[in-house]
Amino acid sequence: MIELNNISYSYPRTVQPALHHVSLSLKKGRCVMVTGPSGAGKTSLCLAASGILHHEYGGKKEGTVIIDNRNVAEYKSLSDLAQNVGIVFDDAEAQMIFTTVEEELLSALEHRGLTADVIEERLDAIIKTTYLENLRDRSPHHLSGGQKQRVALAATLALGNEFLILDEPTSELDEHATVRIAEILTDLKNQGKTILLVEHKYRNFKNMVDTLVILENGAITASGSPDEVLADQRIHGMIFPDFSTIRKTVQNGSGEPIIAVQNLTHSYGEVTALAGINLTIHKGEFVAIVGENGSGKTTLVKHFNRLLSPTSGDVVINGRNTKECSIAELARDVGLVFQNPDHMFFADTVREEIAYGVNNLGIGNSDTVIDAALRDAGLFGTADLYPRWLSRGERQRLAIACVVAMQPGIIVLDEPTTGLDGNEALLVIRMLKNLQEKGHTIIIITHNHEIAEHCADRIILMENGHIMSDTGGA
Amino acid sequence: MAEILQYVHKDAFLHRLNPYTKILFIILVTIMAIIATDIPFLILMVAVLLAFAAYGEMLKESLNQLKLILIMSVIFILITIITMPNGETLLYLIPQGIPFIGGLVPITTGGLQIGVVLTLRFMILIFAFQLFLVSTQPRDIVHAMEKVHIPIDYILMFIIALRFIPTLQIEGQRIHEAQLARGFNPGTGFTGKIRSVSPIVIPLVSNALLRSNVLGLTIDMRGYRTGKRTHVRERVFEKRDYAMMTVMVIAGCGFVALVVAQMV
Repeated sequence: MIELNNISYSYPRTVQPALHHVSLSLKKGRCVMVTGPSGAGKTSLCLAASGILHHEYGGKKEGTVIIDNRNVAEYKSLSDLAQNVGIVFDDAEAQMIFTTVEEELLSALEHRGLTADVIEERLDAIIKTTYLENLRDRSPHHLSGGQKQRVALAATLALGNEFLILDEPTSELDEHATVRIAEILTDLKNQGKTILLVEHKYRNFKNMVDTLVILENGAITASGSPDEVLADQRIHGMIFPDFSTIRKTVQNGSGEPIIAVQNLTHSYGEVTALAGINLTIHKGEFVAIVGENGSGKTTLVKHFNRLLSPTSGDVVINGRNTKECSIAELARDVGLVFQNPDHMFFADTVREEIAYGVNNLGIGNSDTVIDAALRDAGLFGTADLYPRWLSRGERQRLAIACVVAMQPGIIVLDEPTTGLDGNEALLVIRMLKNLQEKGHTIIIITHNHEIAEHCADRIILMENGHIMSDTGGA
Repeated sequence: MAEILQYVHKDAFLHRLNPYTKILFIILVTIMAIIATDIPFLILMVAVLLAFAAYGEMLKESLNQLKLILIMSVIFILITIITMPNGETLLYLIPQGIPFIGGLVPITTGGLQIGVVLTLRFMILIFAFQLFLVSTQPRDIVHAMEKVHIPIDYILMFIIALRFIPTLQIEGQRIHEAQLARGFNPGTGFTGKIRSVSPIVIPLVSNALLRSNVLGLTIDMRGYRTGKRTHVRERVFEKRDYAMMTVMVIAGCGFVALVVAQMV
């Protein structure tokens, strides 16, 4: 059993406590799911419950954590804690240290004082549980995000601990990979593991959750059986964001063509990523591109601003063939926002971050433009903060604002809601919808079918480099 | 993307050798390469290493390094030509016909020779280390190093430094693309070039620091740093290791003889 008694915690040099009188008990064989907006202290809670906070972090700590009838203070070190608790983090890449899947798991198994035979036996069992059979000899660079996260989970299982703590294990994963993780965790719970799961995606895990805990601003605001907790309208809305009211009217191909893709083929070496794509997108449309990983979605949109050039075929933006334009020129017409906003922030303040793109294009009146972008993104109050201090949702909106301020007619977003909680996703989608109303053409790549159906005017389904269906006709 | 210094999973001669055999091999090759100054002998060593690479099905991985080696050799030879003029002058880097500066920087046989020797030495070291790294699982490196009492933290540092090279490569590429989409301008002039690096380097370093926190906790919470360890699938010395050792002893003795005879 893991018990948190009245835990309060503030990180060094901060005023606001990350956790505020949090009490939680995790009984043997049960699954507790903690959810709440980003910045609510969920990661701090995971660190506290695993004993890491006590041993590794400074700052002000109050209350006690009991793991397996021992106060965490009695454990000598993290290695000692590791005998009882396993933890999986959200960054899958950082949790693979060795160069093949099997090696990773063996390395974890070797430290448990088992005999060689038992290790081989357990290795096979874990590989089976986590569906890694065909990936035994793969290196981290040849695994998808979901596969890497399964390896991280498997390596944690290798420890053979009863307690499993998972800090947003699926935040960067698509629907398919999330379902896989949920299946595995359900199996593990049935095998008797005790699970503390921090997650946004309650929907995927609802069959295994015994207790649902809502954490807001470092404090628990609701806790109990999922049915009880979800009876509260406000909480229900937080966990099941309602996208159905976003779209007011369907706008179908009203404007003139703004993107014309003709017979576009793209190959990476011998792999054909796009095979003869034909597509016309009209001004003012809101288009969602959906499809499995590796279906060619990102490859397609990278052609719009010439990060990739066609192997054959043409892409015409605003009447100009991209072959005749440089990337910098196209940046005026096409704004591309990548999946991970942290790949672009380097300035000292939010305002400077937005100014970078604006100055690169030499847009006049930059202060007014930047103010407008800040307001559109709902970030006006944070203009002087360091970009990386913002919450995940705010960083995503900042990434969009950086591109919007450059005033491109077309805004393309790769997975704009991945890693966000329901409310943040709603904010992002509302922002995009407003941009559409102002006359921008919006193209999003998304795995979220609800968003595609409720927000986009047109859905394009891709598979193996082909367009399989397109609700916009043409 | 070419993956720099990453283990490649195969079941070939070099992979099956014991890590210790390979470490001794590197040590021997390094000593020989440093002592020898005879160009034909060094070329022979390169050829032997490439033969090993071919036998171990690693020739492609070795030849991937040629571009790096070529760039390096040009730099080495230029430096030695400029700084170590010696022996006969073959021609001048700046043709004599040009007024004032014509005839400066003579290309001499001595400078050229030292440059070539340096290049060959580095070539040998790069090939040898690379053959070791692409054919040895990090787990085996950890085991081998632990047995000679190198502290586990240092070993993990070494392993992780190698492991994250491709990760940083891929991430750098993504950051570059994201900044290009924001009208990133590679900059002109010296200060411009330096300044234009920050939009790429700052996100790369910030993300890496963030990642290192998770990585550190993962290492601790998987118990990688605890001392006791069960040895599974351990590499033992096999016939091929003894054969390889014999070859190395013969090569070593032969080399000593050549050195004594002042032939290399």
